[in-house]
Amino acid sequence: MDGNAAPSRTAALRQLSQAAHRGHDLRLEQITHRFGDGIAVNGVDLHVTGGELVALLGPSGCGKSTLLRIIAGFISQTAGRVLFDGALVDHLKANRRGVGIVFQNYALFPHMTVAENVAYGLQAHHWPKERIAPRVAEMLDLVHMNAFAERRPSQLSGGQQQRIALARCLAIDPKILLLDEPFGALDKNLRLDMQIEVKRLQRIAGITTLLVTHDQEEALSMADRIAVMNKGRIEQVAAPTAIYDQPASLFVNQFVGTTNVFAGEVIEISAHYVRVRLDGGAVITALPGSAFSVGARIIVTIRPHHLRLAPSTGSDGMPGVVKTVLPLGPEVVYDVETAGGRGVKVVVARDADLAPVEIGQSVHLVPLALHSFRIFAA
Amino acid sequence: MSTPDAPRLRRHRIDWEAASLELLFKALTALAVLFLLAPSVIVILTSFTSSASLKFPPPGLSLRWYVALFDADQMQRAAWNSLQVAFWTTLISVTLGTAASLAIARSSSPWIRAADVLFMSPLVLPALAFGFASLIFVYRLGFRPNLPFLVLAHVVVCVPFVLRTTLAALTQLDPALLDASTSLGASPWMTFRRVTLPLIGRGVAAGGFLAFMASFDNVPVSLFLADERTEVLPIHLWQQIETNLDVRTAAASGLIVLFTLVLMIAAERFAGLTRQLR
Ligand SMILES: Nc1ncnc2c1ncn2[C@@H]1O[C@H](COP(=O)(O)OP(=O)(O)O)[C@@H](O)[C@H]1O
Ligand SMILES: [Mg+2]
Repeated sequence: MDGNAAPSRTAALRQLSQAAHRGHDLRLEQITHRFGDGIAVNGVDLHVTGGELVALLGPSGCGKSTLLRIIAGFISQTAGRVLFDGALVDHLKANRRGVGIVFQNYALFPHMTVAENVAYGLQAHHWPKERIAPRVAEMLDLVHMNAFAERRPSQLSGGQQQRIALARCLAIDPKILLLDEPFGALDKNLRLDMQIEVKRLQRIAGITTLLVTHDQEEALSMADRIAVMNKGRIEQVAAPTAIYDQPASLFVNQFVGTTNVFAGEVIEISAHYVRVRLDGGAVITALPGSAFSVGARIIVTIRPHHLRLAPSTGSDGMPGVVKTVLPLGPEVVYDVETAGGRGVKVVVARDADLAPVEIGQSVHLVPLALHSFRIFAA
Repeated sequence: MSTPDAPRLRRHRIDWEAASLELLFKALTALAVLFLLAPSVIVILTSFTSSASLKFPPPGLSLRWYVALFDADQMQRAAWNSLQVAFWTTLISVTLGTAASLAIARSSSPWIRAADVLFMSPLVLPALAFGFASLIFVYRLGFRPNLPFLVLAHVVVCVPFVLRTTLAALTQLDPALLDASTSLGASPWMTFRRVTLPLIGRGVAAGGFLAFMASFDNVPVSLFLADERTEVLPIHLWQQIETNLDVRTAAASGLIVLFTLVLMIAAERFAGLTRQLR
């Protein structure tokens, strides 16, 4: 069985990577969509280059699915333009756009076999009968599902159904691949496997892909770039590391990774640093970022990994008392109560030779570096 | 106080309550079944009578009244009319009802909601009034009652059955399936034929079965719109009973019960009728 499978798999791979050379370019210009009074998508600009995988990351209800449905042509936007390879597609019906979409529940046709599901798009595109069966076999091979061709979707596991949904979608060689929370219904271990699998297929096919997710880890691990959405707007588009290290807004900072948030007031500005008095009373020093004037109300954030615990005697930083100690394998997570009753999370690498700081101990929270603090307008 | 005993005591009492409730429900169910089945059983037993009267219990058994049906020309013609009317009514009701349910399920416009209520109204409005009104209507149009008008009027009262079962099936249909079909390149017609219809087919079939039965034994509408040439079976049977207590009506009823039973079993097997109606 595998002996036959190998040649057709290489054929499929060759064909798909040929497609890679023409990875299509997707451009969204000022897309806005209203449902009645509510605005679901608000002035979105986004450019996805050929073969790129961009994750659309944002909390539930921020307009991700609506944006996908606009790109797929299921709904037409209130305002703005969608372009594939520089050509307007707004006039094209959903069945003429050449957009492949994988839904969270996979949306396999329950009354058809796996093979019939994969053949469906080819039939819709009027492929000659004799070319459909080999193509279906090729696609099933690509997702390692040959043995299941005659099964019904209900006889497959979640991961298997997802492979079929992908095969069905890729069979018609779509210009753009849209994935709407595709891993949400899978349990954790399977999710990782499928993320690797989807990434593999996406790479081979070189297909321009938009992945919708509310899971930051998924976005960070899979995407070439991440577009963070909030309340219908895109707040930042950047590489995963840039999103994490240089969040453009407080929302992005809080939504991607965990962070500690403090309110405070600028008390001193120089060319090299700003000094901020936090509402708890402690004074911290940070790098001057955007232009703030003395007396401005601001928000300061710092990630748990960028803090360390110093003995309370004579240190700079925020004084506090350790409330909780969670030794999590290689790291120890501390919850420290600072002045004003605010809990601050601190994560430090566990040192086997040193006893962890104990509950009830007084400590000072010290940033690893001045640039660890990020400052946003309040 | 013996607190540990209290919960057990209470559980015991709840058990007793549950048991008596169950007994009550069982008794009510048995009573309902009896009332549902008894008339049919009595008619069927009577149809095998050897005497020339509709007496129950029959003094002796024979098949003579079933044999007599072979010569009952008028009754046969009425039965044929009924079958024809029911057939066309079902065909038209299924077509229109399915089309209407698709539109109703797809739309959230208040006008479409209003249309839904309007289409359903024959289920609650008195059919007798509708039959009378349609007779006047037909005359005002300058026609006399005939088969096409009879079918049309039956469609009005039978469409709600198709509408209900099809709408129920459509709410079970995952809209993502239709989107998936469209994004794979399918035209609206292909999506309907290959995805929608196969998945709601059982609901449509169940509605069609109900529409057929509702048309086949409809009296109030046929009463006004059927003339001698288009006389339908239920009305013919009624007149036979009223004028000469014809025992052949019992035999005809027996056949109708059998016919219905066969249809129901078929509908249950192929469309899962009871599941569609739930
Ligand atoms: N068909 C619709 N009618 C009205 N409002 C809708 C509809 N679809 C989505 N919305 C609203 O638009 C907003 C964005 O929804 P959606 O795009 O589904 O968010 P996400 O996919 O990010 O969770 C939500 O507030 C939602 O309630
Ligand atoms: Mg969504």
